[in-house]
Amino acid sequence: MAAGMADFQAGECSLMDSDERYRRLFRTALTIRLVEERIIELYPSDRIQSPVHLSIGQEAVAVGVCDALKPDDLVFATYRSHGFYIAKGGSLPKMFAELYGRVGGVSKGKAGSMHLSAPEVGLMGSSAVVASSIPHAVGAALSFKRRGSSRVAVAVFGDGATEEGVYHESLNFAALMKVPVLFLCEDNGLAVHSFKNARQSYNLLEHARTFGIECRRVDEGWDMLAIRQATLDALAVVRAGRPFVLEIATGRYKEHVGVGDDFHFGYRSAADIDAWKARDPLLLDEQLVAELKPEIDREIAAAAAFAENSPFPGRDELLTDII
Amino acid sequence: MNVSSKERPSTQTRVLSYAGALLETMDAALADHPNAFIMGQGVDDFKGIFGSTTGLAQKYGVERVFDVPLMEEGMTGVAIGAALVGDYPITTHIRADFSFLAMNQIVNLASKYSYMFGGIMSCPMLIRLVVGRSWGQGAQHSQSPQATFAHYPGLTVVMPSTSQAILDMYPQIIARHPGPVVSIEHRLLYNLDFSVSAGTPSKPIPLTSYVAREGNDVTVVATSVMVLEALRAAQYVAEKAGIEAEVIDLNSISHPDWELVIGSIRKTGRLVIADTSWLEYGVAGEVCRQVMLRDPSMLRQAPAMLGMAAAPCPTAKSLEDIYYPSQHETVEAILTQVRGSGHGIELPVERSMTEGYKRFRGPF
Repeated sequence: MAAGMADFQAGECSLMDSDERYRRLFRTALTIRLVEERIIELYPSDRIQSPVHLSIGQEAVAVGVCDALKPDDLVFATYRSHGFYIAKGGSLPKMFAELYGRVGGVSKGKAGSMHLSAPEVGLMGSSAVVASSIPHAVGAALSFKRRGSSRVAVAVFGDGATEEGVYHESLNFAALMKVPVLFLCEDNGLAVHSFKNARQSYNLLEHARTFGIECRRVDEGWDMLAIRQATLDALAVVRAGRPFVLEIATGRYKEHVGVGDDFHFGYRSAADIDAWKARDPLLLDEQLVAELKPEIDREIAAAAAFAENSPFPGRDELLTDII
Repeated sequence: MNVSSKERPSTQTRVLSYAGALLETMDAALADHPNAFIMGQGVDDFKGIFGSTTGLAQKYGVERVFDVPLMEEGMTGVAIGAALVGDYPITTHIRADFSFLAMNQIVNLASKYSYMFGGIMSCPMLIRLVVGRSWGQGAQHSQSPQATFAHYPGLTVVMPSTSQAILDMYPQIIARHPGPVVSIEHRLLYNLDFSVSAGTPSKPIPLTSYVAREGNDVTVVATSVMVLEALRAAQYVAEKAGIEAEVIDLNSISHPDWELVIGSIRKTGRLVIADTSWLEYGVAGEVCRQVMLRDPSMLRQAPAMLGMAAAPCPTAKSLEDIYYPSQHETVEAILTQVRGSGHGIELPVERSMTEGYKRFRGPF
């Protein structure tokens, strides 16, 4: 949830009309896109000296899902989590300082882009080992259940992660223990440069059903409101104490890691992504972009300035926080 | 056996098995900490991890002591997630070898959570591993991975060698330690009885090394069951040759008290290292590294080292008996350090340590 919207209670019958809701979601999605476009501009300057995995094209997933969550629900995410960090309400200045490797960053610069977190708003540690944070969400959900809490945990992962053994372990355990966890698959169809048909002999939803887990696929991965509603529907099941698998199709516009396009390498074509761009509200709704962009740009500039002015961690930080 | 550290007044004692000490500390963890829970394959069954969790599911409920599917990585990840929201998970691996299936979570996640996120998150938890030995445990039921885990910053690795060590360490690990702890228990110790202090220590016992037996002639740095082997050997050489070996239980593999170890070696000038695992790239190498860093001249001669043969563990008893260091070899190493290879002192005939333990009717 973006700053200034903390008073919004997801899941309640909101008095806001749908235009207002759309505008709120759009603004958060645009923030993610503009932040990442700023990262692209900054990258050649070497202010950010670590890998970045951009979520440009996938913003609607993070925005739609996080808007449906309550502030104290937890999200366990991946190395491609700028979007979830912003959508869950993480601070932009602390994010930029983290990317810049400064002490003012979320984790004093020790985490960087791949390990963003904002536990104060429910974004738990992001992991750069594929699938490894999935059981963390199950464990948090197990705790919530034992305490009789109404909180839920969300495991965010890509389609490639479902090939890992721990995904199956996590589904089995969550179904056995009936814990309130939402398994959220961002299906961009790619694991680095490998297409799904070269990697998977199963259908994700059919697979989930064999565990008795309810599930749904959303093909309209550009549609923030549809994703939000699908998440609310899934959360109704999850809050009743049953895990749910929500698969959302989406498109990764940029290369797996780094700030460039990768169509010229020939493993995929720009046409693969053109279909997504043709539906992308951040590209289509130019009027709303023009209206919102100046203020967001000022926020980003302030965040980058904060990062610029934050000191680098010194030797005293090298051996702190180990245990 | 005297494991008294300076912190503990030597008042009354009682007899308690290693498994009994584990059960007491697991029980106390659940009683004292509402956020603690125990999960692992078989923790709630009638065998209860060799008696260390027996009856706890009945006493505290299946939500706090529960069996899990065969999912070592998943279970450890679940533990991390629970720890991140304030629970204290205790996980078990009935063979240490099975923890290798959880290496991703232990090494890539748990060990790094505090540092990687700049100290804003932590996952305190206790991971209990049981090392198997004897009766043909073979190559995959016998490994002792202390060096493996202690290699990674962020993990605290302990190897309790006595019931007292468990009583001293586990409660404070569970109550206070901020990060993940890997405790490597030894199956051979489970059924042994030990004398333990009847009272609770007046202040926390440091999670580090201690002197298990004082002596001036040679320093024996040992881990886990090899501490008992070193103590038995020390008693033998004292009786047969008047040699007084100082035995140091390294106890904490990740955070030993190097000043204690080095002080002893400086005093005796002679060193035997007795570990439960391979010598290559292990505890033996680390002890030597610490000596080399400080003052190699403190050693009067090259140290002796006892550990598993540099092979996977064989199942055949004839091979297994020579795979592990025997009491015979431990005594020989100590005598040779002090008197040289021509010491001429009679060696104990016992070559199979597990045979010796079967006959032994404690307490230590």
